[in-house]
Amino acid sequence: MKFISIILGGVLISNFVFIQYLGLCAFIGLSEQLETAVGMASAVIFVMTGASAVAAAFEQFILIPLNLQYLRTIAYILVIAAFVQLVEIFLKKTAPGLYKAMGIYLPLITTNCAVLGVALLNVAKSYNILYSTVNGIAGALGWSLAIIIFAGIRERWKLMQIPDVLKGFPLALISTGLMSLAFLGFSGLFQGILK
Amino acid sequence: MGEKLLVTSSPHLKGPRTVRGIMLDVILALVPASIASVVLFGVRALVVIAASVISAVASEAIYEKAVKREVTVSDLSAVVTGLLLALTLPPGVRLYVPIVGSAFAIVIAKQIFGGLGTNFVNPALAARAFLMAAWPLQVSSKWIAPLAYDSVSGPTPLAALKSGRGVVPGIWDLLVGTRLGSLGETCIIALLLGAAYLIARDVIDWRLPAGFVGTVFLGAWIFGKSGAYFKGDGLTAVLTGGVILGAFFMATDYVTSPVTPKGRLYMGIGCGIITIIIRYWGIYPEGVTYAILFMNLVTPLIDRFVVPKYYGYAHDAAARRAKIGGR
Amino acid sequence: MNGKRSLLHDFTKGFIEENATFRMVIGMCPTLAVTTSIVNGFWMGVAVIFVLTFSNVLVSALRKVTPDQIRIPIFVILIATPVVIVELMMKAFLPDMYRILGVFVPLIVVNCIIIARSEAFAYRNPVLNSLLDGLGIGMGYTINLMVIGGIREFLGTGKIVLFSLGSFPAKPLFDPMAVMLSSPGGFITLGLLMAVLNILIKRSEARKSAGQQVCHD
Repeated sequence: MKFISIILGGVLISNFVFIQYLGLCAFIGLSEQLETAVGMASAVIFVMTGASAVAAAFEQFILIPLNLQYLRTIAYILVIAAFVQLVEIFLKKTAPGLYKAMGIYLPLITTNCAVLGVALLNVAKSYNILYSTVNGIAGALGWSLAIIIFAGIRERWKLMQIPDVLKGFPLALISTGLMSLAFLGFSGLFQGILK
Repeated sequence: MGEKLLVTSSPHLKGPRTVRGIMLDVILALVPASIASVVLFGVRALVVIAASVISAVASEAIYEKAVKREVTVSDLSAVVTGLLLALTLPPGVRLYVPIVGSAFAIVIAKQIFGGLGTNFVNPALAARAFLMAAWPLQVSSKWIAPLAYDSVSGPTPLAALKSGRGVVPGIWDLLVGTRLGSLGETCIIALLLGAAYLIARDVIDWRLPAGFVGTVFLGAWIFGKSGAYFKGDGLTAVLTGGVILGAFFMATDYVTSPVTPKGRLYMGIGCGIITIIIRYWGIYPEGVTYAILFMNLVTPLIDRFVVPKYYGYAHDAAARRAKIGGR
Repeated sequence: MNGKRSLLHDFTKGFIEENATFRMVIGMCPTLAVTTSIVNGFWMGVAVIFVLTFSNVLVSALRKVTPDQIRIPIFVILIATPVVIVELMMKAFLPDMYRILGVFVPLIVVNCIIIARSEAFAYRNPVLNSLLDGLGIGMGYTINLMVIGGIREFLGTGKIVLFSLGSFPAKPLFDPMAVMLSSPGGFITLGLLMAVLNILIKRSEARKSAGQQVCHD
C-alpha cells in the first residue's frame, strides 16, 4: 500500500517536474524529440533508482553510525557520481548496445538535480532503504512521464510559426506551466486511503 | 500560393467547409444551452457570457495587432472559446473572472503558440483550470438558485454527491436544469440538442463523447456507492457536473484531440477514467476539466502510436531496428 | 587601464549581459521553487553569492594544479565545501528560512550556474577576476530571484513583505491570484518575463544599430 502511495506521489500527486520543480534543465533541454526523451528517461529511471538505494544505504550504514550527517551533501554527490561512473563501465562491458543507446545521457544525469534531490528528499521523509528506492523509482517515473509527454507536444511545434522572442525557453516554460495546470487535478489523490 | 508546400498541423479541413463555418455550427449548437442558462439564472448569465466573449475577441484582436499578424477574429474561434469558458462558470461569478480567464485562454493558451491550430490544450479549459487555482472561491461557490434568481452558496449536486451532504436532485431536475450549477452544465436537454446537431452536421465524432460518457457511467456504476461495488448511480453521475458539456463540446476540439477514430475513442475512455478517479478519490468534486486537459497532453502520443492498420508494423519495426543500430 | 576596465566588467556583466536566469538560462530549478516571495528569493540569492564566489576563488586558485581530466569532479568537491558551510550557517542562524528553502539549499551543489562558472571562467582566469565574476553573477541572480519573487508574491497574495519593514500595500488592491504561488503560476510568470526581456533587448539592439547607421553617414 505504501509503495503505491509513494509511486503515485512522485508520478501524479506531486510530480517531480510539474509540482516539485526538479530536473528542469534536462527536462527542457532534452525534450525536443521523442527518441531523445525516451532515451534520457530510461537512463534516469536506471540511475535514480540505483542512486537512491545506494545513497540510502550510505546514510544508514556510514553517515548515521559515524554521526557525519552534516557531510551528507558532499557524500551524496560523490556517491552518485561514483555510481554513475560504475554504471557506465558496467554497461560498456555487459550491454554495449544499451550503452550506445544510453551512453551520452549518463554523464548528464550527475548534474540532473532530480537525482540528488530525490536522495535528499528521502532523508527528509525518513525513508528506510526500501522506501528510498521506491521513491527513487517514483520520481524517475514522474520525470519520465513529464519529458515524454512534453516531447510529444514539442514535436508538433516544428510545424508552427513561433515569434522569435518566444522561441525556446519562454515558450517551453509557459507550456510547462500549462501542463502543470493539468496535473493540479491529481493533488490530494487517494488521500483518505493512502495515509 | 501554389508553389509553396504548405505543411501544417491539425485541424485539417476537408471539403468546402471553412473554419468560420464550423465555429458557427458550434455556436449554434450552444445556443439552446445559453438560452436555458438565462432562463434558469437570469440576466446575470447573459452578462457573464457577454463579458467572456468580448474579452476573448478583444484579447485576440489586440494580441494579433501587437505581433503584426492578420487579425482573425472573424473566424469566430475566439467567440467559441469565450462562450465555452462562460458556460463553465457559476452564474454569480464576479466579472473579472471571465474577463481575465478569456484573455488567458486566448493569449496564453492559444495565440502565443501561433494562433488557431497550434495550441496543445483546450484554451477554455486551460483558462478554467487557471481560474480554479487563482480564485477558487469565485469558481466554486457563486451559484444562483434556478428560477428564483437568489445567490446561493450551497452544495451543487456534484458537491452533494461527493460529500454526502445536501440533496441530490431527481432525474427530471437534472435534465431540465432546475438545480445549482455552472451556466452551461445544468440544462442537459439543451446540451444534448446541440450535441445532436453537431453530430448530424458531422462536426464532431460520436466516438469520443460515447467513450467518455460511457466510461463515466460504468465507473460510477461500479464505484459509486461507498462500501459496495456495482451499486452506483451511473445515470446521475453522467448528468451532474461537466460531463455532457465536456464530452460533446470541449474534448472534441479538433486541435487537441486525436486524429484517428480509434484514437478519439481512447481519448474519451481516458477522460472518463480520470474523471472517475478525481471525482471519487481526489480532492476536487469535478474531474472533467483536468481529465480533458490531461488527455490533451497525451494526444500527440496517442496519434503517434494509434496508426491506421495499413501504415502497419513494417514502419515501426524499421524504426526499432534503426534505433538498436542495425543488429 | 585596460586591466582595470576588465575587472569592472567582470563584475558588472553578471547583471545584464550574462544574466544567469534570462540570458544564460541555467539554474532553473531553484529559480522557480524559491521565488514565492521577495524574502525567500533574497536569502537563496545570498546563499548562491556566497557559494559562487567562494568556489570561483577556490577553483581559480587551484587551476594551475588541477589535472584537466578530472577537473569536473574536483570542481564538484570544491563547490560542495561552501555549500556545506552555507547549510550549517543557515540551519543555525536562519532556521525558518532553511526550512522554507528546503532541499534547494543543498541542491546548490549541482546548480548549473556554479559549475558553469567554474568551467567557463574560474578555471581560466586569475583569482581576483574570478572573485568579481562570482560576485557579479551571484548578485545579478539575486536580483532576478527578488524580481520574480516580488511579482509572484504581489500577484499571489496582493502584497509584498519587505523583511521587518512590513508589507505593502496594507490592503490588497485586487483579489489575489493564489495560482501565482504554485507551479503553473511560476512557470508562466518566468516564461512571460523572459519573453518581455527578449522584446526589450531586441528593441534596444534595433535602436543601437539604427544609431550606428546614422553615425556612419
